[in-house]
Amino acid sequence: MKNNFIELEHGAGGKKSEELIGKIRRILSYKGAWKNTGDDGAVLDLNRRGSINRTPTKYDRLVFTTDAFIIDPLFFPGGDIGKIAISGTINDLAVMGAKPLGVSLSLVIEEGFPEDDLMKIVASINKVSRETGTPVVTGDTKVTEKGKIDKIEIATSGVGLAENIIPNGGAKVGDVVISSGDLGEHTAAILASRFNYKTHIKSDSKPLVKEIQSVVKYLHSCKDPTRGGMAAVLNEIAEKSRVKIVLDEKTLPFKKEVVAISELLGIDKFSFASEGRFVATVAAKDADKTIKILQKYNREAKIIGAVERGHGVWLKTSIGSIKRIETPRGKLVPRIC
Amino acid sequence: MGYEKILENIRKKAAKINRPLRFMELCGTHAEAIARHNIKSVLPKNIQLVSGPGCPVCVTDQEDIDVIVGLAKAGIPVACYGDAAGVSGNLGSLEEARRNGADVRIIYDVSEVETPAYRTGRHCNAFLRTRKKTIIFWGIGFETTAPATAWAVKNGMTVFSSHKIFPPAMEILLKNKKNKIDGFIDPGHVSAIIGTKSYEKFKIPQVVAGFEASDVLLAVDMLLDQIISGEYKVQNEYARLVKKGGNKKALELIKSTFDIIDSKWRGLGTIRRSGLKLKKKYQKQDAEFIYKDLILKIRENIKTKPSACRCGEVLQGLIESTDCPLFGKVCNPDNPQGACMVSTEGGCNIEYRYEK
Repeated sequence: MKNNFIELEHGAGGKKSEELIGKIRRILSYKGAWKNTGDDGAVLDLNRRGSINRTPTKYDRLVFTTDAFIIDPLFFPGGDIGKIAISGTINDLAVMGAKPLGVSLSLVIEEGFPEDDLMKIVASINKVSRETGTPVVTGDTKVTEKGKIDKIEIATSGVGLAENIIPNGGAKVGDVVISSGDLGEHTAAILASRFNYKTHIKSDSKPLVKEIQSVVKYLHSCKDPTRGGMAAVLNEIAEKSRVKIVLDEKTLPFKKEVVAISELLGIDKFSFASEGRFVATVAAKDADKTIKILQKYNREAKIIGAVERGHGVWLKTSIGSIKRIETPRGKLVPRIC
Repeated sequence: MGYEKILENIRKKAAKINRPLRFMELCGTHAEAIARHNIKSVLPKNIQLVSGPGCPVCVTDQEDIDVIVGLAKAGIPVACYGDAAGVSGNLGSLEEARRNGADVRIIYDVSEVETPAYRTGRHCNAFLRTRKKTIIFWGIGFETTAPATAWAVKNGMTVFSSHKIFPPAMEILLKNKKNKIDGFIDPGHVSAIIGTKSYEKFKIPQVVAGFEASDVLLAVDMLLDQIISGEYKVQNEYARLVKKGGNKKALELIKSTFDIIDSKWRGLGTIRRSGLKLKKKYQKQDAEFIYKDLILKIRENIKTKPSACRCGEVLQGLIESTDCPLFGKVCNPDNPQGACMVSTEGGCNIEYRYEK
């Protein structure tokens, strides 16, 4: 039954995505002086010999990232494809510890797409751009014949500078795991709007630069749980840091409505995406300070687990058993970002 | 009652009975709940929980899968629930057919097929907007999903029915002397439709249970009570949803739409009066009738591929998934060899995801 075609699973942010990216990377193996090429953003040390000649400064790490967006529906409670498209790229820079310098914007539009909708999307991009002080500095626009793509696709890239990089593999035994707020609301909102559920849940999409910068010195590892949700990102942190992460069912960062939507549709809440939250690990001694600062941005910021010796991500259940949370497999929810 | 207290009761009672006990759960969602909370790990050693044929996709006969994939490949649009698209027959799966150009849509709710939003392609790709042909909805599942299909029929949709009714399968399980079962955890969703009365004819301890960890634990506790007192009856732990007489409206929908026929189950063989077929008055909406010549041709051309997959025995609780020689090796969720590994409610899929 083995076949060689691209499947929806390859784009879902789970195991199969990992495998596909691995295959592509084996061909594109030339990385030059760039580091962290498997993290949310790639890093170039500007002071390093062989990069570029310049006077050394404090912010001397260049971070570069890119992302593409194919959401259905384009407009949803709490945001639209434009807001996600710029926030997603800014957040990928932010979780690496960088302050964004500027982003690019490429639009591929289906013939017949309403201009009003396009301008609404562009206005959302502008709003986030201004809020975060991240100008859109270059771009491209293409239009395809009707039916060749579904409405609109957006790609953004961004560059930023960091003083210290927060690597995905930086978690240490003895750290605690924190989440910047309740998780999964983006997927929940998209699903609710696809199926016309009545709910108060809105997409959590927003830029994270200020929040992360306010606690950046405490963070050992940091990721935004987008596709694949916290199951995918915590497994990535655990694997790259060679540690075990243990969560407690009693302190899981999910709202009732998110759990209800996940159970109604039979989709694992641990794979639900957020577009404006991050999970991070910090030294236990810094945990209270970090949470206190983060709660200024979101009252639901809290400690959700601990980093221990071992491997994998595990959950202490309320009945006292331990079970593993694996990197999600399968299609999950297509076209959420 | 807190978990600790229930577990303590279970431990005491299990020690008192002091012999190995096998309880079979009959609902894919129970299998999922048991795995999700790793309930097996907190139960006393002498209590074994096994999965029965409660995963609707898993028990669907190979021939039905071949027919629906054959129809899709012949250019007829097909809509179905998610897991059903992934299960492979001799002609591959609906998902594979879609990759090769067939029109296959995954839906959560049968009403999506006929809503204006769906027609204009809000849920789907642009090319679907121009579709002209009538979509076949592949109805799959037990009494739980049959009412929705019945509703679809009443609303003029075309249906290919692989629906089954559940109690006849329980009868077959009990007749199989090789299969030692000390009690059933009866399916929560099915019971919400058919009620608890339907199970009273089975002479074995039974508890209808919900899907929280505490529901399953309480069900085990209640089964132990029945064993200690030497009686068998149907107890209802899920009374917040399940009534003795079931859901009258849903039952009436099923009855007025379908005839009960003999039906083939994967692993269990043909079970008398266990399948649901559209009544004759709806034959103009019955894909089996509309496409009978094409279906005959599809059936004639099927070349059965041999497989070492032991799905059939897993479904009867005769072996554990891990006893199958393919499990975890060539057979995994990314490359499933049998239905039990495809469906997220399948015993092998759950075992692989949670207990690897």
